[in-house]
Amino acid sequence: MTSGKWRIRAAGMFLGLVHAAILFAGFVAPVEPTHQNRDFPFAPPTRLHLLDAQGDFHLRPFVCGRDLRLGTFFEYDENCADHYPLRWFVNGNEYRIAGLFTARLHLFGVEAPGQVFVMGSDNFGRDVFSRVLYGGQVSLAAGLLATAVSLCLGALLGTFSGFYGGWIDESFMRFAELFALLPWLYLLLAVRAFLPLHITPLRAFVLVVAVIGTIGWARPARLVRGIVLSARTRKYVLASRGFGASDAHILRRHVLPHTYGVLLTQAALLVPQYVIAEVTLSFFGLGLSEPMPSWGNLLASLQQYNVLVSYWWMFAPTLALVVLSFGYLLVADALQQHLQSASV
Amino acid sequence: MTVDPNTTRVENHVLLRGVALCKRYIQRAPFSRRKFTVDAVNNVDLEIQVGQITALVGESGSGKSTLASCLALLEKPDSGQIFVEEQPVTGWGARQLLALRPRIQMVFQDSAGALNPRFSAARVIQEPLEVQGLSSGPELRQRACSLMEEVGLSPDRADASPLEFSGGQRQRLAIARALALKPALLILDESLSGLDLVTQAEIMNLLLDLQGRHELTYLLISHDLSMIGQVADYIAVLQRGMVVERGRREQVFKRPQHEHTRELLSFARGLEVAFHSAGAEARG
Amino acid sequence: MRYLLRRLLHSVYLLAGVSVLCFLFTDLAPGNFFDEMKLSPQISPNTVAALKTQYGLNRPLPVRYLLWVKSVVRGEWGFSFAYNSPVWDLLAVRAKNTLLLTGVATILAWLIAVPLGVGMAYWRGSWADHLGMGGTSLLLSLPELVLALGLLYFAVRTHSLPVGGMSALNGESYTFLSRLRDRLAHLVIPVATLVVGSLPLLVRHVRASMIEVLDAPFIQAVRGHGVTAARTLFVYALPAAANPLISLLGFSVGGLLGASLLVEVIVGWPGVGPLLLEATMARDLYIVIGAVMISTLFMIAGNLLADAALIALDPRVRTRA
Repeated sequence: MTSGKWRIRAAGMFLGLVHAAILFAGFVAPVEPTHQNRDFPFAPPTRLHLLDAQGDFHLRPFVCGRDLRLGTFFEYDENCADHYPLRWFVNGNEYRIAGLFTARLHLFGVEAPGQVFVMGSDNFGRDVFSRVLYGGQVSLAAGLLATAVSLCLGALLGTFSGFYGGWIDESFMRFAELFALLPWLYLLLAVRAFLPLHITPLRAFVLVVAVIGTIGWARPARLVRGIVLSARTRKYVLASRGFGASDAHILRRHVLPHTYGVLLTQAALLVPQYVIAEVTLSFFGLGLSEPMPSWGNLLASLQQYNVLVSYWWMFAPTLALVVLSFGYLLVADALQQHLQSASV
Repeated sequence: MTVDPNTTRVENHVLLRGVALCKRYIQRAPFSRRKFTVDAVNNVDLEIQVGQITALVGESGSGKSTLASCLALLEKPDSGQIFVEEQPVTGWGARQLLALRPRIQMVFQDSAGALNPRFSAARVIQEPLEVQGLSSGPELRQRACSLMEEVGLSPDRADASPLEFSGGQRQRLAIARALALKPALLILDESLSGLDLVTQAEIMNLLLDLQGRHELTYLLISHDLSMIGQVADYIAVLQRGMVVERGRREQVFKRPQHEHTRELLSFARGLEVAFHSAGAEARG
Repeated sequence: MRYLLRRLLHSVYLLAGVSVLCFLFTDLAPGNFFDEMKLSPQISPNTVAALKTQYGLNRPLPVRYLLWVKSVVRGEWGFSFAYNSPVWDLLAVRAKNTLLLTGVATILAWLIAVPLGVGMAYWRGSWADHLGMGGTSLLLSLPELVLALGLLYFAVRTHSLPVGGMSALNGESYTFLSRLRDRLAHLVIPVATLVVGSLPLLVRHVRASMIEVLDAPFIQAVRGHGVTAARTLFVYALPAAANPLISLLGFSVGGLLGASLLVEVIVGWPGVGPLLLEATMARDLYIVIGAVMISTLFMIAGNLLADAALIALDPRVRTRA
């Protein structure tokens, strides 16, 4: 395998792992994202211990019990008299995989009443780690779907415009130029401004996907148009016409195959951008709101000064976001290099 | 009905006729209001007789390719009529033309551009059959392989990409594709340009061979009068979109009437000697 | 010169197009500022209806558009329902602040990006280059949101920089120098965020352009004449690579505008961003349209400047046009 292909595969695998973790959020997360633990709001990430209070070494790491420090708001002391061993592949609450299958198996967990907050807890005592995973499902789904919308729209319009040319092409290019010109965040807010503020979560999701998707169609459309335009003038297209090929045949066999590479690269570039768009919208309260967790509204609590200052683990979704973006960036880079070398 | 004593071909049937063909291009420099109109084809009459090799000669820019495109029914002339086997096809739509397409096929100059590099050689040849719905499945492949053999390519290479072939072999592939629909007329637009002399002669031999076997008619388009002079029966000289001289080969070569023809001939003199032997052998 | 004129006309067309697009969007949308008011039990439906008529919201779309255009020409840019004032008065102040922020960030970003990119291109393939590419990759995956929040966090924890606003609360009484220092201190976080956010792409582009130029034969010739490396890079190579970079400069204005919106809101810088967000939540129609128009204006101005710079600097563009 050439190094280019290797890089794509490595990056792809890394990304696949991240997606798998998010898809199987129910498995990886120890508890439900909505499970409130009012006794432990804003608890910092749980520490794992190997030595207990008596100084004995345990092979299996364990978690200590926690008590609220008296007289403080949210500070905790560890009480290692109670210890809860960390177990792998435990049975916990029921969850659904991709909305279809139910299961009870979790990657890890501890016995009640111990909790393992890998990334701490929020103001309702909900496990941030679980919420990040479940929120990832929503944010990632939004990003993927919006990307699909943009690419479909862009590919359709770009192909139509590039293939038929003439005034269709001219007016299309002018139109696309307008969209490409506007700073997308401004446009996003403007469009969002004029849609109802209070709507059901499902509708909000569809809305967010639709808005983000329709704003970004211009760039893929222009790229596809360029490719279609140049492919259309090839002599083998002319030859095809010479034996009576229809437009559909020419598009399917000769023209569109050239666009697949570009569309793939665009997808790798757009997904993280769109996930960030959703996160931004939800962060400002204009996207998805409680109780549907998304990375955006998870981060929204950071807008409060005291949260920002005291509870650093609430930054957890940013880690997930960065990891996701990085993965996609690697894939996009590798794809671009591969395509460049292939087209020579 | 006259029969040429030199050959057994019947010579009064007109396969393709163009009458008063005109095509003009309007170019506009970007951001400016000035327009350049180019009369690529200016009032051209042309007849292509069955069984003959008609040659269209001219320098680059003379309008040869545009005329060829119109005659191949790939472009519509701005005015004038085209008759295919005495049937007027002016104003015909794509559907009507579909039935006529197999009769006239074209072989282009740039074989690398004329064949989709992502297709295999077999697929390239099969495409016209697929499009016309003439056969399918394993039959397609058989046809493709037999056509490859006919043009002198080994069917072992049926799955190779056109880019893996040499220039001459690619042209053979293009010819095979053109033959797939069993055409009556083959238009060869500068198909031998860009090949070395030996390969040119080989391809020319192949074409003459095929002509005998399949009763083909050729329209050869080229700027190279010397090579044409060996094989053409009938020659038309094109200059700036207009036919300035036409006639049988001997006529045009021995008694050129127009100055432009004389110019072209003088360029070609030097090479004629080299070609004469190769061409004479081919014709037997 | 004629070319510039044509670009200017084209820009006017673009502005008009964007404004029409905005109005179309607003027309598509269900609901407006006054409909939200209906939810409040204190305001009777009659009042709402009267207000709507007063602000002309029940007139047909083309009429509303024309009225708006007239308002723009008058210098008002429409009317804000929430603030009860012409939009321009609100926007102008904010726009100045945004411009200050974006301007400083752009200059700083390019000042850093150019030497970095040139250096990476010169030492192409070395560990420094790989480090740079890796660094830019990492930075590229950091969304601005994260950057802004992160910087804010550090600023607050270390108590080193003021957070929020453009100047200290009692800044009026400061001396000029103190005020300057204060203003600069307030600029640090937002500018840093914007700069770090835009650096990776800029550095990559500078590097790519320089690599192309450095491969050209005339550079070899210059080196052959014994010119030092530094001079070669900055006096000969960089100007040759400048063409696509100037276009990028015009283009990057738009990117920075979008990013600045986010940063302003998070950091509390009083620019167009927070105003737009507020107006979005309140459905204050004309502020939203005004903000979008202003940002479009900035973008177009940026591109025009880039075009003008290209014409002035690159003789090839002059002869072609």
